[in-house]
Amino acid sequence: MPVRVAESSAPSQVPEAANPGQTSPQACTLLSVGQAFSGTQNVSSLQKEEAWRVNVRIQGCDLEHGYLCGTMEALNVPMADTPVVTFWEGEIVDTKNYTFFTDKWEATSEEDIKHWTKFPSFSPLLNQVEVDGGKSLDLSNYPHIFMRWKEQYFVNVGTDCGLTIAGFYYVCFSCSDGSINGYYYDPNSSPFQKLELKSTNEGRSGFSSSSYELQ
Amino acid sequence: MPTATSTTATATNTSTTATSGILHRLFSTDQDVKLKALRQLKNQIIGNRTKKLSFLKLGAVPSVAAILAEAVLADDGDRNNSFNKNVIVQSAAVLGSFACGFDAGVQAVLAAGAFPDLLRLLSNLDEKVVDAGARSVKMIYQSKLAPKYDFLQEKNMEFLLSLLNSESETVSGLGASIITHSCKTSVEQKILFDAGVLKKLSSLLEGSLSQKDSSLESLATIFKDNPEVVLKFVGSESGRALSSIIELVKDKFARTRLLASLCLIVIRNTSPCYLQDIAVKTKLVNTLLELLGDPGQVGDEASFALSSLIVQKEDMQKLAFENNAIDKLYCHLQKDSLNPRRFEGILLALADMCSKLECCRSRFLSSQVLNSVVDAVAHDSADVRSAACICFKSVARSIQNLSAGSFLTEAVVIPLVRVLDDPSTSVQVAALGVISNIVVDFTARRSIFIKCGGVKQLVQLSKSMDAAIRLNALWALRNLMFQAESKCKEGVFMELTASLLASLICDPEPFVQEQALALVRNLVDGCISSVEYVFAEDGIILDAVGRQLQSALKAEIGIQGMYVLSNVATGEEFHKEAVLNQLIPHAETGSQAYIIKFLQSNDSRLRTAAVWTVVNLTNSLSPGAVDRLEILRGAGIVSQINNMQNDPCLDVKLRVKTALGQFKTLDTCLSHTFLWRLPLAGYITLLSFFFAIKAV
Repeated sequence: MPVRVAESSAPSQVPEAANPGQTSPQACTLLSVGQAFSGTQNVSSLQKEEAWRVNVRIQGCDLEHGYLCGTMEALNVPMADTPVVTFWEGEIVDTKNYTFFTDKWEATSEEDIKHWTKFPSFSPLLNQVEVDGGKSLDLSNYPHIFMRWKEQYFVNVGTDCGLTIAGFYYVCFSCSDGSINGYYYDPNSSPFQKLELKSTNEGRSGFSSSSYELQ
Repeated sequence: MPTATSTTATATNTSTTATSGILHRLFSTDQDVKLKALRQLKNQIIGNRTKKLSFLKLGAVPSVAAILAEAVLADDGDRNNSFNKNVIVQSAAVLGSFACGFDAGVQAVLAAGAFPDLLRLLSNLDEKVVDAGARSVKMIYQSKLAPKYDFLQEKNMEFLLSLLNSESETVSGLGASIITHSCKTSVEQKILFDAGVLKKLSSLLEGSLSQKDSSLESLATIFKDNPEVVLKFVGSESGRALSSIIELVKDKFARTRLLASLCLIVIRNTSPCYLQDIAVKTKLVNTLLELLGDPGQVGDEASFALSSLIVQKEDMQKLAFENNAIDKLYCHLQKDSLNPRRFEGILLALADMCSKLECCRSRFLSSQVLNSVVDAVAHDSADVRSAACICFKSVARSIQNLSAGSFLTEAVVIPLVRVLDDPSTSVQVAALGVISNIVVDFTARRSIFIKCGGVKQLVQLSKSMDAAIRLNALWALRNLMFQAESKCKEGVFMELTASLLASLICDPEPFVQEQALALVRNLVDGCISSVEYVFAEDGIILDAVGRQLQSALKAEIGIQGMYVLSNVATGEEFHKEAVLNQLIPHAETGSQAYIIKFLQSNDSRLRTAAVWTVVNLTNSLSPGAVDRLEILRGAGIVSQINNMQNDPCLDVKLRVKTALGQFKTLDTCLSHTFLWRLPLAGYITLLSFFFAIKAV
C-alpha cells in the first residue's frame, strides 16, 4: 500500500537445521493464488491517528523460487479520489532463495532484526538469524511464513499522485488462520506502520478457491 | 512472348534429348561409350537435385545398378583389368551421387538392389574401388532410409571394426556413419563400447576433418542417454578423449565446432555431473551463439543445439542470458529472408531461454522481439507458426506482465484466435498454449479476447476429436475463468452449456477430465450466486463431478473435483446438502465413501482438498451443520479426520485442527439441543442409568 510522500503466538519448537535446497515452505492453501485478505494499515504520525483500509489479493505464487505477487488496494486514502491499487512482489524467506537479511532497499541487518522481532512467532528463530540470517534454518514445516513485499508500480493512478511506494513490508503470515501482519519500512516514512489483514471468504460460508496453471 | 516460348521449348527439347542420349549410351556395347556415359551422368547430377529427379524418372538408377552388378561379377581380382575397375568406380560414384542428400535417390538405389554390390566393393583389393564403394555406402547411410546395421551379429561387428581400422579415411568415416545411423538402443551402445569402438573413434578425433566430424557424430550416438557408457568414456585415459572433444569446440571449422558442442551437450544431458566447469559451459554457449551467424546448415542447426543445451536447465539459461543470448538471438531473428528451419530454431531457442527466468522474459519484452514473434504466428511454414506460438507461450509465463495485462491487446489476440483454425494440429495446440497463459487476466481485459471470438473458438475446440486439442482448449477456458467477473462467466457458460461440461468431466482422457473439473471449480468460485451453475439442468454437472470422483484415476482429478465440492459447500444450506449427498454413498450400495480414500491418500494436496470440503460442510455457523456432522460421523469420516491430527503435511494438519474445532463446537450444540429436546421419560431413564452406574 502506498504511503504519503515526505512523511517521515509462539511456536512450540525451534526449527531444525536445514538441508540446503530442501527448505521451501510447503504450500499453504490460505496463501494460494486468488486468495483475498482485508484489513488496515496504520499510517498514524505524531500529529494524527490514522488507518487506511486495505485489500490484498494473491495473483502469483512460485514456491520453488520463493516468489509471491499480488495487488494491494488502499481504500480511504485522503488525497486520492479512488482506491489506490499497487502491484507488489514478495520474497518468501525460505532460507534457500531468501534469508531474513534483506541486503537491499536500504535495509541493514539491524533494521531487519528490529522489524522481524516485532512478530512473536519470530522469537524462536532470533538466535540463529543473528548468526547467519537464518540460512541454516529449515522453515519448511514452520506454521508461519515470513516474507518481504515490495510494491512495484501503481496499477490505477500515475506516479504523480502524491504517494510513494519506495519502501517495503516485512510480513508474517499465519498458516493456521491466514492472518497477515506486516510492518512498512521506508527510511523516509513513519517507522513501523502496521499492516493487519485477515483472510476473507467474500460472503461465503467457508473457504472457496480457484486456480490457474501456466503452460 | 512467342519468341521466348519458342526458345524455352527448344532448350527443353535439347535437354531432354541430351538426357535420354546419355541413358541410351549406357546400354552401348562399346565399353568406352558406356564408361563415358557414366562419367557424363555423374557430372550432370552432382549437386543438382533437379537433374537427379529427371534421370531418376527416366529409370537411370536401375540401369546403372545393372552395370555395376555386371562389372562386379566380371571382376576377377586382376589389378590390371583397369577398364572394368573404372566401370565399377564410375557406376558406384553415380549411385552414390543419386543417394547424396536425396531420399528418393536412396530409395531408388536400394530398390534396384545395388546395396549388396556396393558393400562388396569394400573388400576389393583395389583401393580406388574400395574408396568409391565406401563413399557411396556412406551417402546411403546418411539417409534415414538406409537399412539398419545389425551390430549384434559377430561378423557384422568384425566388419565394422575393420572399417574403423582402415587406413582410408573414407572407409573409417563410413564405419562411423554406420554407427551414427544404426545405433539406437542401450544394448547396441553397450556392445559397441565392449567391442572397443569408443577407443577407435577417439583416435579418429586426431584424424582428418571428415574423420573428426564422423567420429564426433558417432560418439554422441553411443553416449546418448547412456550414463554407463559416458562414465566409462570420461574415466578412460584420465579423460584425455573428453579433453580432445572440448578442444574441438575451438576448431577452425564451423561444422566441427558444432559437432563437438553437440557431443558435449549429449554427455552433459546424459550425465549432468560432468562438464560442470564454468569455463567449458561458457565456451559452449558462446560457440553456439557465434555459430548462429554461419550462413549454411551449421547456422541453421546451431539454435537447435543451443536449445538442447539449455532446455529445462535454469543454470544454463542464466549463463546464456549473461552472455547476451536473448539479444543475439533477436539480432538473427531480424535478418531478412530467414529460411524456415533457421527461423524455427531461433524461435525455439528463445522459447527455452524464456521458459523459467523472469530476467530473460523481461529482456525479451524490452526489445521489440514480441512483434516479430506475433508476426511469425501467421508465417507460411507450419513449423515456424508452431515455434512462434511456443516462444510466445514461454514469454507469457511472466506473471508480472500478466498482472499488468501486457498481452491482452487486439494486436496479439486477433492473430492468435485466427490461428486456432490452423490446418496443422500442432500449431493449434501451440496456439492454445499461448492463449491459456495470456487469458490469466487481472486487469479486466478478458473482454478483448471474448470480442475477438475467442470463447466461441475455444468451446468449438473443446468438442474436437483430438484429445490434445480438447485438453488445451479446456485449459484455456479454465484459466479464462480464474477470478473472472460474473458477466464473463455467464457468457462462457451459455456458450459451453451444462451438458457439454458434464460430458467433458466424463471425457475418456483423464487429463481432459482434470481440466474440465478445474474449469468448474473456477466457475463456482467468486460471487456466491455462481454456485448455481452446477445445479443447472437438474444438477447434471454436480452428478458428473460425483461420478468422476468415485472412479478418479489420478490424484489431480480428485483434487480438482474435491475443490468443486468444497466451493459449492460454501454456499447455502441447500448447496451443502447437495454436496453431502454426493459424498455419502447410499446405504443400499454398502460401499465406502470415496472421500475416506482421499483422506488416506499419499498425496497431501488431495488430503487437503478433502479436509477443506469437510470443514465447509461443518461450518459451525450453518444451521444444518449439526445434522451433517452426524451423517459424516456415521460414514466414518469424522473418525478418519480424528486420525489425521499429526498429518506430516502442515497444511493438512492445520485444516484438520480447524475441522476438529468445528466438530467440538457442533457436538456441544448437539448435547445442549439433546438435553433440551429430551422428553421427561428420557430424563428419567438417563438418570436411573446414571445412578445404576454409580451404585455399581
